[in-house]
Amino acid sequence: MSLLALDNISVSFGGVAAVRGVTLRVDEGEIRGLIGPNGAGKTSLINSITGIVRPGGGVISFAGHEITTLAPDVIATRGVGRTFQHVELFRDATVLDNVLTGLYRHHVYGIAAAIAGWGRARRVEDEARREALALLEAFDLAPLALVPVHDLPFGIQKRIDLARALAVQPKLLLLDEPISGMSESEADAAVGMLRDLAEQRHITLLIVEHNMRVMMRLAARITVMHQGEILAEGPPAAIRADPAVVEAYLGEDGGHA
Amino acid sequence: MRLNAALIAIPSLLSLALPLFGSSYQIYLVELILINVVAGIGLNLLTGNCGQISLCHASLIAIGAYGTALLTTRLGLTYALALPGGVVLTTLLGASLSYPARRLSGLYLALVTLGFLEVVSIAIEEFPNLTGGVRGLKLSPPEILGRPLKANGLYYFVLGVTALAICAGWNIQRSRYGRAFNAVRQSVIVAQALAISPGRTKLLAFAMAAAFAGLAGGLFTAVVGFIDPTEFDISASLHQITFIVVGGLGSVLGSVVGAVVLTLLPEALRGAKEYSDVAYGAILLAALLLAPKGLVGLAASLLARVGRKAPLP
Amino acid sequence: MTWRVGLQLALSGLSVGSIYAIIALALAIPFKASRVLNFAQGELVTLGAYIGLVLTSYGLPYAAMVPATLIIAAAFGLVLERLFIRPIIGAPEFTLVIATFAIGLIIRALIRIHWQDNNFFLPAPYAGPALPIGPLRVNPSYLVIIGTTAVLVCLLVLFFQRTKLGKAMRAAAVNQTGARLMGIRIGTVFGSAWALAAALGALAGLLLAPVVGINPELGQLVVKALVAAVIGGFGSLGGAVFGGLLLGVLETYAGAFFGAALKEIIPFALLIAFLLVRPQGLWGTALVRV
Repeated sequence: MSLLALDNISVSFGGVAAVRGVTLRVDEGEIRGLIGPNGAGKTSLINSITGIVRPGGGVISFAGHEITTLAPDVIATRGVGRTFQHVELFRDATVLDNVLTGLYRHHVYGIAAAIAGWGRARRVEDEARREALALLEAFDLAPLALVPVHDLPFGIQKRIDLARALAVQPKLLLLDEPISGMSESEADAAVGMLRDLAEQRHITLLIVEHNMRVMMRLAARITVMHQGEILAEGPPAAIRADPAVVEAYLGEDGGHA
Repeated sequence: MRLNAALIAIPSLLSLALPLFGSSYQIYLVELILINVVAGIGLNLLTGNCGQISLCHASLIAIGAYGTALLTTRLGLTYALALPGGVVLTTLLGASLSYPARRLSGLYLALVTLGFLEVVSIAIEEFPNLTGGVRGLKLSPPEILGRPLKANGLYYFVLGVTALAICAGWNIQRSRYGRAFNAVRQSVIVAQALAISPGRTKLLAFAMAAAFAGLAGGLFTAVVGFIDPTEFDISASLHQITFIVVGGLGSVLGSVVGAVVLTLLPEALRGAKEYSDVAYGAILLAALLLAPKGLVGLAASLLARVGRKAPLP
Repeated sequence: MTWRVGLQLALSGLSVGSIYAIIALALAIPFKASRVLNFAQGELVTLGAYIGLVLTSYGLPYAAMVPATLIIAAAFGLVLERLFIRPIIGAPEFTLVIATFAIGLIIRALIRIHWQDNNFFLPAPYAGPALPIGPLRVNPSYLVIIGTTAVLVCLLVLFFQRTKLGKAMRAAAVNQTGARLMGIRIGTVFGSAWALAAALGALAGLLLAPVVGINPELGQLVVKALVAAVIGGFGSLGGAVFGGLLLGVLETYAGAFFGAALKEIIPFALLIAFLLVRPQGLWGTALVRV
């Protein structure tokens, strides 16, 4: 059974249709690529899955349950995580605090305990800290744990964003351009890291990315969006050879495609 | 670490020893500082951490003050019960403000809280039989365990409660809830992506701010012995905001520093309320324009420039 | 109630409402231009009245005092904007709200330091006993207030429709980047908006003075104008006028029938109700994410 199922999803802003009747299935454990020229509706689609934008029509199901009209934080609690195209970290907080914030839902204690600051609160906080440090370790960020985020270069911030998203323990992770702005070598390292996520942590990935070279290496299947609709879907090689896809990209992001 | 220890130890020792060398007026002044510290911590959690504008913090203090006073005079409760009663009442009313805050932010939230402030002050003025109206309400000295609190006893009571409040503020800020507050302030969308409910977080922030305000109000009643609506108008709310902006938004230490510096300021000016209003306004403007991180932020960047790492709480 | 009492109340409601409307306009104009809601607007009303008082004490006749007051107030608005508002345009809303509040606090305290809490009387040539008009007895001040407001609204419409500066201000309100591309200087627009707002505030102060006298608390009624602006919808000038008049009339009737307490409560009940149910007001466009 597919983990994520979109049926006939439409999104529009003030009468302008950004997504028109998209139907999409993503299977558990899959790494799916989502590409398309600028303005194709990729980000709107991601926003409707995470609940930030309510679709005008259609049904979204996750792990067999409908999530179409749930609040974004409830959807996140169900196991849909995301990263942001422009990396929206808490800039004044430390790397560790950013990741700890992601653990909000999974390391729980009550308000009374929080006020008292001992007992259960202390125990759970220690646990959370250990887990956050383990995550940082996995992303080679441990030495930076106590550094404020705003001092760090963009490539590292992207990794922190990813670590923070993982702290929420998602089953499905939506990555909005995880490679953009990275150098070639950083991108290669990121590809390895993302593949590990899928293989070792068993997280399903839906990746929006312009970099076709990266997509070819990562994704088993690629979905192409154009003008709010799905233009093509298939293995990377087939997508690359599809004349309709090539035409959609002409004059747009031809260089990337 | 040594700096932190000194920061805590010196003021603690001084305030503990104050009754040994201070005049009764000085003790009264420190009591007012402590009350402002308690109120400021609450407002700072709401505004500094959670990013919610509130122009009605003074009304919440008023509700705590009148609530405590009326529970003692009307229901005959002892102060030890009336104080928590006032806190609970304030918390409930303050929490109701989170309902508009779910939908409104920024300017609109400012307007709602301004409306709340006006409604509370009208309510106090229009029910003189209960509240004493514009003439105010006079109270007998508080009793705890059937014994009246004498001057020093009251001082140590206020000091103890404030110490607990500081610890509580500190603990909340470093807890998962404090992190949720900060997340909601910086980006509601990111907070939601991290499975944090903005609605529930705002509810908690408003309830917390109100609880601290109610506590401050209840202490105020006991210390001053007289309350009237002019103590809780819009400029009182602005004074509270000045405390946290000047001290440092989002920092418990900032609330403390702001309350200490700015409660003493009118004393230093020795003049009428008008002069301190000018000073408050000017300092607030200067802080907003020139030092948005407040005195605590200034100190931190100074220390950093000197080359030491400043692990500020 | 007889229809006569009803009319009488409507007239005084409209005159109170006219004052609210003028101040609501003074709030809406800079808000439209720069997204800053000026919580010090009430103090600009108070200040205007005191400027009039000072000029009168220097022997200026009423006809000269009014324009002189408006010009001085406008200049003050210009300076205020340049010194304190321009540097924080684009800052978080918290900063904007609190900064304007701080400015108001300072102005009010300075006025208090100089003039204390006395209530001053400002003579106006039109003030006098109530005139019998048909079956009604009408306070001439009310007529002047309502008439002035009507003329003012017409002049503002002309200003925004016909003059170059007015058109530039409208363009900038819709789209700042676009306006800049058209060669409109945003700084000029902001400055003009604040000058205009300060002058309108002063006008309201001068109109109020013969009715209630001049004291440092005169500007407190800005909260009523805020309510009017919310009812009308922020940034809608027509809405501000309508909201002001509606509030004035509602308040007056409520006061007559249900007593002072309800009269006091009504504006804030309306404020909170509107913000909760219809934050965009009757005419404004939604600026809030819902």
